[in-house]
Amino acid sequence: MENKDVIIQVKGLKKTFGDLEVLKNITTDIKRGEVVVILGPSGCGKSTFLRCLNLLETPTEGSIVFDDVDLTDPTTNINEQREKMMMVFQHFNLFPHLTILENLTIAPRKLKKVSNEQADKKALELLSRVGLQDKAKCYPNQLSGGQKQRVAICRALAMEPEVILFDEPTSALDPEMVGEVLEVMKQLAGSGITMICVTHEMGFAREVASRVMFFDNGVIAEDDTPEEVFSNPKHQRLKEFLSKIV
Amino acid sequence: MRSFNFKIKKFRFALVLLMMSIVAVASVSCDMKKSETGLSKIHTIDDLEGATIGVQLGTTGDIFVSDYEEKGSVVERFTKAADAVQALKLGKIDCIVIDRAPANAFVGNNPELSILEEDFAVEEYAICISKEKTELKNQINESISVLKENGTLESIISNYIGDDTKGKFPYVSPENVDRSNGTLRVATNATFEPYEYMEGGEIVGIDIDIARAICDILGMNLKIEDIEFDSIISAVQSGKSDIGLSGMTVTQDRLKSIDFTQSYTTATQVVIVNTGSSNEKLSFKDKFHNNFIVDSRWKNITNGLLVTLQISFFAVLIGVVLGFVIAIMRSTCDKTGKYKILNLILKAYLTIIRGTPTMVQLLIIYYVIFASTDINKVLVAVIAFGLNSSAYIAEIVRGGIMAVDEGQFEAGRSLGFNYNQTMWYFILPQAFRTVLPSLCNEFIVLIKETSISGYIGIMDLTRGGDYIRSRTYEAFMPLVAVALVYLILVVVLTWLVSKLEKRLKNDGK
Repeated sequence: MENKDVIIQVKGLKKTFGDLEVLKNITTDIKRGEVVVILGPSGCGKSTFLRCLNLLETPTEGSIVFDDVDLTDPTTNINEQREKMMMVFQHFNLFPHLTILENLTIAPRKLKKVSNEQADKKALELLSRVGLQDKAKCYPNQLSGGQKQRVAICRALAMEPEVILFDEPTSALDPEMVGEVLEVMKQLAGSGITMICVTHEMGFAREVASRVMFFDNGVIAEDDTPEEVFSNPKHQRLKEFLSKIV
Repeated sequence: MRSFNFKIKKFRFALVLLMMSIVAVASVSCDMKKSETGLSKIHTIDDLEGATIGVQLGTTGDIFVSDYEEKGSVVERFTKAADAVQALKLGKIDCIVIDRAPANAFVGNNPELSILEEDFAVEEYAICISKEKTELKNQINESISVLKENGTLESIISNYIGDDTKGKFPYVSPENVDRSNGTLRVATNATFEPYEYMEGGEIVGIDIDIARAICDILGMNLKIEDIEFDSIISAVQSGKSDIGLSGMTVTQDRLKSIDFTQSYTTATQVVIVNTGSSNEKLSFKDKFHNNFIVDSRWKNITNGLLVTLQISFFAVLIGVVLGFVIAIMRSTCDKTGKYKILNLILKAYLTIIRGTPTMVQLLIIYYVIFASTDINKVLVAVIAFGLNSSAYIAEIVRGGIMAVDEGQFEAGRSLGFNYNQTMWYFILPQAFRTVLPSLCNEFIVLIKETSISGYIGIMDLTRGGDYIRSRTYEAFMPLVAVALVYLILVVVLTWLVSKLEKRLKNDGK
C-alpha cells in the first residue's frame, strides 16, 4: 500500500463563505486506488472539501494538485481535468429531459468524441453491471431513488475517470434502497479506482474504506485506517460522534 | 387516437358556438343603437353649442370646432372621417364638421345623412412641406401656377366634383416624361373622398392627380405613402416624406412646425347631420356582398392577413433569438456575479422596452431612428415588435433558467462540460419546456399587438378591415371579420403549441 503514487495533493486549503471559515488550512495526500471515507458532524466542512476538489467551490487559499496539474492555477483548463474526476451527488442530478441511455452517453459523445455505437455499447454494459439494462430507454423520473443513484454512478463511470467523488450518495434514499447503492460502490472499490466518499454509512466505511478521515470544525481531526478509527478513536470529538452514530 | 379526434370535434364545436354568439350579440346591439337615432336636433350653425360634434383629428374642422368646447360642446375626434360618419349614423354624435367635398361623398353614400345649408367656414387647401426644403417649395409653387393657368387644376377637380362633370376629365400624364429628377414622396391619408381615397385597391383622388401633375412637370417619380392624418406633418418634418398632400388648410399652429405652398383649391367646411330618413335596411346577404364581394374587398382582409403573418413571424424570430441571448447573458451575470456593467445595460434595455407603450416604440423607430432612411415599413414593424417582444421573452426565459435546479448545473460542470455547453445541453432544454406556455402567451400578445402597425401606414389585417369600413360606412361586418381572423390565428397557434408541449413532455410523467 505504501508505494502507490499520489493522485491528489491538497496543500493549505482554505475556504470561507463571507465571514464563515468552513475549511481551515487542510493539507493531505490521496493515493491512487485509495478508498477514502470522510466522516464528520454536519457543518464540519466535509462536503465543501469534496466540492473544492473538483472546483465546484473555488478555494479561497491553498492549492490542489491533481495528476500533476495544479487545479487552482487560473490557466488550468478545469473542464479537461473534471473529465478525469467525476462526482456522484446526494440528489443524483440526472438530466430529466434525457433517457437513461442518453444520460450515460452524452458526456463521452460530446466531450470525448466517442462514436454513438461505442458510447451506447459501453453504457449498456455499465447498466447491465448494475442490473438496469432494461431501463435504458426510460426517463429518470420513471426510476426509484436507488435506481437513479445507480444510474448516476454509471454516468460517472462512462467517462472512465481516475477518481470518483461521492457526496453523501445514500442520504436521500429510502432505507430499503441504501443497500443496492452500497453494493455497487463495494464492487467499484475492488476495481482499483480512487474513491472519496462523504457518507454516514459506518458499515461501508468499516468494510470497504482503506482510509477514514474525520473532519471537525474545518480541519482533519483524525486520519487513519478504519480499524484504528473505529476501534481506537483518539480524538474526543470522534468518540462522541461514533457513540451517537453507531 | 379516438380521444384525440373527439377532442378536436369538441374544440371545433366550441369555436363555432363562440363565433355564433359573437355574431348574435353584435347584431342585436347594432339594431338597438339604430332604433335610438331619430331626427337631428341641429338645424343651424348656432345649434352646435352644447352638441356633440364629430371631427377628423388634426383637420381644420377640428381646429375650428375646438372653440365650441368652451361653449359647452363635446368634440369627438376620430382618426378617420369614415369613423365619424359611422358614429353619426349610430347616434353617438350629433353632427360632423368636415370639408364640403368629402361631405358630399358621405351623404351620397348614406341617404339618412344631409348637409346643413349654412356653411361652417371657408378655407384654402395647400401642400405642406418642410421649412428646410425651400427649393422644392419654389418648384412646386411654380408647378401649381402652371397647372392653374393651363386649366389642368380645374379639370382635375371637376373630374371628382360636380354631377355633370364627374369622371369626364380623368388626368392623363403626358407621354415620354423624363423622370430623372428623383422621387417625390407624398404623405396622404386616403380616407378623405374625393381628395384621396381607396378605389379598387388603389389610392385615387384630386390630391393624388395633382401630385401626379406636379411630378410630370418636375420630371419626378411619384411615391404615395398612406398614413394617419395626424402623422402627416411629423412625416414631412422628419423627412420621411417630401410633401404632405391631404386636403390640408394653412393654420397658424401648423405654420409653426411646417411650411405651406400656395393654395391649390378653396374648400368649405360644412356640417353633416343625421336626418334619419330613408334608411332602408339591407339584408345580411346584401351587407355581406357590399362589404366583401364588391370591388373584391375581401382582398383587403387576405392581403392584410399576409402582412400581419409576415410581421408576426419575423418579429417572433427576432424576439426569441434576442430574448434567449439576453436571458442567457443576464442569468450568467446573476449566477457568476461577473459582467456587472453588461448586466446593468441589459437591465436598462429591459426597463425601457417594458416601460413604454409598444405603439410609441413603433413610432419612435419609424419617425426618429429611421427618419432619414427610406426603409421598408414592414421591416420597421418587424424590428419594433421583435425588440419589444425580446424584452418580455428575455424575462420569461430568465425565469425558466433560474427555475432549473442548481444541481443540474453542477452535474453538467462536474462531467467536464464548460459553462456554455452545460447551458446548451442541459439547462436550456429544461428551461424551454418550463416556459413554453408563457412563450405561447407572449406570441399571442405579439400577434394581436401588430394591429397597431397601421400607425406607420402598413396595410395589416386591422387596417384592411378599416379600409372596408371607410368605403362601406359599416362597422359590424368588417370588424367582426377581422376579429374572427385574429381569433382563428390565435386558436391555431395555441393548438400547435399544445402539440409541441405534448411532444416535449414525453419524459414519462
